[in-house]
Amino acid sequence: MLMQLTISGLSQGAIYALIALSLTVVFRATTVVNFGHGDFVLGGAFGVYVLVVMLGLPFVPSAIAAIVLMFVCGVLISRGFINPIKAGPHIGFAMMSISIGYIFRGTTRSIWGREVLPMPRVFDIEPVFIGDLVITGDAMIISGIVAILLLAFFIVFYKTSIGKLIQAVYQSERGATLIGINVQRFHDMMWGAGLAMGAVAGILIAPISLLHPDLGAGFLIRGFAAMTLGGFGSLGGAVAGGLILGIMEQYAGAYVNTALIDITSYLVILIVLVVRPSGLFGKRAVVRV
Amino acid sequence: MKLKTKRGLSLSVLAAVGLMASAAFAADTTGLTDTTIKVGVMGPFSGNASSYSKAQIGEMAYYKMINDQGGVHGRKFELIQEDTACQPAKGIAAAKKLISQEQVFMMHGNSCSGVAMAVRDIVVDAGVPWIIAHAVNPNISMPPTPNVFHGVPAGPAYGYSMGKFVMSKPGTKNVIMVEHSNDWAKSYADPTRDYMKEKGIEPSMVMTMERGQTDATAQVLKIKQAKPDFIVASLYEAETVIFLKDMKKYGVTDIPVMGAAGTDLENTLARIGDIETVKNYYVPHAFIDTVDGPGMKKWNDMILKYYPDETITGFSAISIGSAVAVVEALKNAGRDLTREKFIAEMDKIKNFDTGVFAAPITWSADDRHGVKESASAGFVNGKPTVMKGWNQPM
Amino acid sequence: MNQEITKTKRPFMQSGRVFYLVPLVVALIPLFANNYLQFMANMIMVYVLVTVGFNLVIGNLGQLAFANTAFFGIGAYMTAILMTYAGFTYETALVGAAIFGGLAGLLASITALRGIRLYYLAIITLAFGELMRWVYIHGESVTRGTDGLPLPDVTVFGLSMHSDTAKFYFFLLITVLVVKGTSNLLRSRVGRAIMAIRDNEMTTASLGISTANYIILTFVWSGSVVGIAGGMFAAATGRVFPESFSLTEVIVHFAMVMVGGTGSLIGSVIGGIVLTALPEYFRQFPGMEELFFGIIIVIVLLFLPKGLVSLLAKVSPLFRERYFRE
Repeated sequence: MLMQLTISGLSQGAIYALIALSLTVVFRATTVVNFGHGDFVLGGAFGVYVLVVMLGLPFVPSAIAAIVLMFVCGVLISRGFINPIKAGPHIGFAMMSISIGYIFRGTTRSIWGREVLPMPRVFDIEPVFIGDLVITGDAMIISGIVAILLLAFFIVFYKTSIGKLIQAVYQSERGATLIGINVQRFHDMMWGAGLAMGAVAGILIAPISLLHPDLGAGFLIRGFAAMTLGGFGSLGGAVAGGLILGIMEQYAGAYVNTALIDITSYLVILIVLVVRPSGLFGKRAVVRV
Repeated sequence: MKLKTKRGLSLSVLAAVGLMASAAFAADTTGLTDTTIKVGVMGPFSGNASSYSKAQIGEMAYYKMINDQGGVHGRKFELIQEDTACQPAKGIAAAKKLISQEQVFMMHGNSCSGVAMAVRDIVVDAGVPWIIAHAVNPNISMPPTPNVFHGVPAGPAYGYSMGKFVMSKPGTKNVIMVEHSNDWAKSYADPTRDYMKEKGIEPSMVMTMERGQTDATAQVLKIKQAKPDFIVASLYEAETVIFLKDMKKYGVTDIPVMGAAGTDLENTLARIGDIETVKNYYVPHAFIDTVDGPGMKKWNDMILKYYPDETITGFSAISIGSAVAVVEALKNAGRDLTREKFIAEMDKIKNFDTGVFAAPITWSADDRHGVKESASAGFVNGKPTVMKGWNQPM
Repeated sequence: MNQEITKTKRPFMQSGRVFYLVPLVVALIPLFANNYLQFMANMIMVYVLVTVGFNLVIGNLGQLAFANTAFFGIGAYMTAILMTYAGFTYETALVGAAIFGGLAGLLASITALRGIRLYYLAIITLAFGELMRWVYIHGESVTRGTDGLPLPDVTVFGLSMHSDTAKFYFFLLITVLVVKGTSNLLRSRVGRAIMAIRDNEMTTASLGISTANYIILTFVWSGSVVGIAGGMFAAATGRVFPESFSLTEVIVHFAMVMVGGTGSLIGSVIGGIVLTALPEYFRQFPGMEELFFGIIIVIVLLFLPKGLVSLLAKVSPLFRERYFRE
């Protein structure tokens, strides 16, 4: 049972990792925590649903189109909603992101409101059996795609010149501006990237969880828990935190009590922030006066 | 300039107060005019229980159909829809609005038991006839009050039918239960536990699966180890799909699963897409025929006529049964209608065949649980079939 | 030059004293309102206090502590529990709600004192709120879980408060007292110290102000105020359910603060009123509420970043924040 739980935990954790990473990308770039992210994850999934089921387009192009669409949404949100309130109090961003999430969710609810929709899937891979262990097609696809995405992300981040540019702006926005980097456009791109990654997460999880407007709610808090565990602002930490959280949920549910699965995220948050606020890999989180 | 604005502010406050006053005095005192009957329909039209409001849609379609047939004694139904979002505070506001501002003749609706319990005292105090059209908590209508009627099988009725079906499988001794920790799930799971306990069976395990969880590995693996004879899964639509898929995934396909009235067979199969995964899934089924079956066709057509964008699920017709009984009682009460006469006629409804429910409706002043039984449904040869018990199609 | 500094007496309509008229006008509402509007008026007062308490912490102290639903729920449940199991009358139960709310505030303040800030604080306090909700659900023997905990008959000093109108007057009294008390707090040295901490914690500390004490005080006061609001909520609705204290609830509280005006007491009152009344107006569009809610807040944030109170402040200086007592 332990191995099976671990595999299942990694597959769930991969989704959390992706969501945590997409939250971190936006956070590192703009210091805004996108509280509405859960609903944007939903947006990617609904985008694919509309394109595949209602317009009859094939899956892979639809998925790509939905991801691009969410990227554009991210850019528009950054430009149209975040940028104008840049000068205001920091919590304004939190409220703005929540409200935009509400608009997303409200729109999906008024169009599809009462239905719970099955999500089309493209790959129907047979599960792999290793002795007593089952590795389902879903688990393999999710883990595989997330692994590839993360690999691509980190290669871009650390090896390419665009990556260096991102790192530069992360470290010092002023410095970046001084050497001629368009920081505003950078913010827009990062919002786009964050939302696009979230869309991928949504497209991956929706075939399992079915599509309904409240899909996003649970993911947000798990993304936060993963970020906290891994260390707020650490990209690698977000991934590690997501995977560990996924596994912990499975263990807690199987070995202690199934009632704990839902609150594992909250317990993780409380324990980490009380014991070691910087998480596993994060920077100093504590202000001492 | 400043003084004018101060006065302007006071004036607008008084205007607002005046508006409220006019709203209070506008409506009829009992929701009846020569040509209309006002019916308040409360339900979760928004929020995460909004799929339940299909029940209210079905009921409203029926009332609209009666309107098109000329109404009852020359009066047509005026339906006032109010959203509760399945939240008690909002539900209380909705109930008070219907009673005090809209001043409806009667109320017919409610899918969420929590909301119904929260508003019960208010409705009882106001004396407005209230027919519970979907919510199952038995305490809403019993002990009996002058004006509350339960128009669907209540928790004990479902518990009885779920428990009876589980026990009808020969040799059932080890039962495991999985449920959400919300009041909806408890209102099915608790009566089932009570029934089984009476027959000498206690569940060997009671596990939680919360709404919004996308994985049931921990629960299924524990089930796999325990090898029960039957599983009772009080889960909503999406979680039922996830649970059944995980059961198949881990090779636990030969243990039958009894669901609650949270989903129906047709839609579950449609969402999963594989008969092998659902072939051992059973649900309580209150209707005379399967959701897509010929016996329900006229009701489904009726719903689609007035709400063409609606998708029919197991919830769609659940409130129609009580609506049929309500219209019958209104007809019997005659043209000279009062709330007292209506309630008296409702209490005279005995063994009434609604054409929707498998069991008839019987109300009396001592017992307002109108529907005592529910059938069950399962897949027989790959087709959803209404059943009396294990391996016993109707 | 020998100038005496004297306090000039401003005319009534231009001084803060004009706000005393508001409760007098509000007290007339039961004469015109049906039961539904009366109930909504009660709920508005509940949320005014919720917003006042919340704004103290996120607006005046500037800490992103989202423990508000925890305080709200603790206040509501403790009121119901004290009345049901300990036989308290409502007014004493409300005191209990205030005390337990304050204790919860004390607990929440520990995180801020340990230096946890910004998003960490937001997330840990959100987690605290959700854990409390788990406790309400699973602590069935005391809280009756998802069935909800009903309140026994509400009496205040021996008078029965069964009707919404009776509750209205009691709530009005409490609301006025709490708002006035908070107003006094904000316009005193304490209030100024709190806002100084918000603006620059290190500098404030370097001036010899004990920031820790003021942080604790703010959290405790906020917890008590919101705890009282929870007690009022319990009496207004008659039955306390866990679902009323979820994450969606804290978002509504947050929206009330932002729409009204962060850091402004009058803003809190306005935000509480507007965002309780407006969703009721949107009842006519069932299912569209989330959408309207989101749109309204986005509009307010984009065009009125300092909240609705800034709009009123342009019209009259009465609505501008003053950090001194006249």
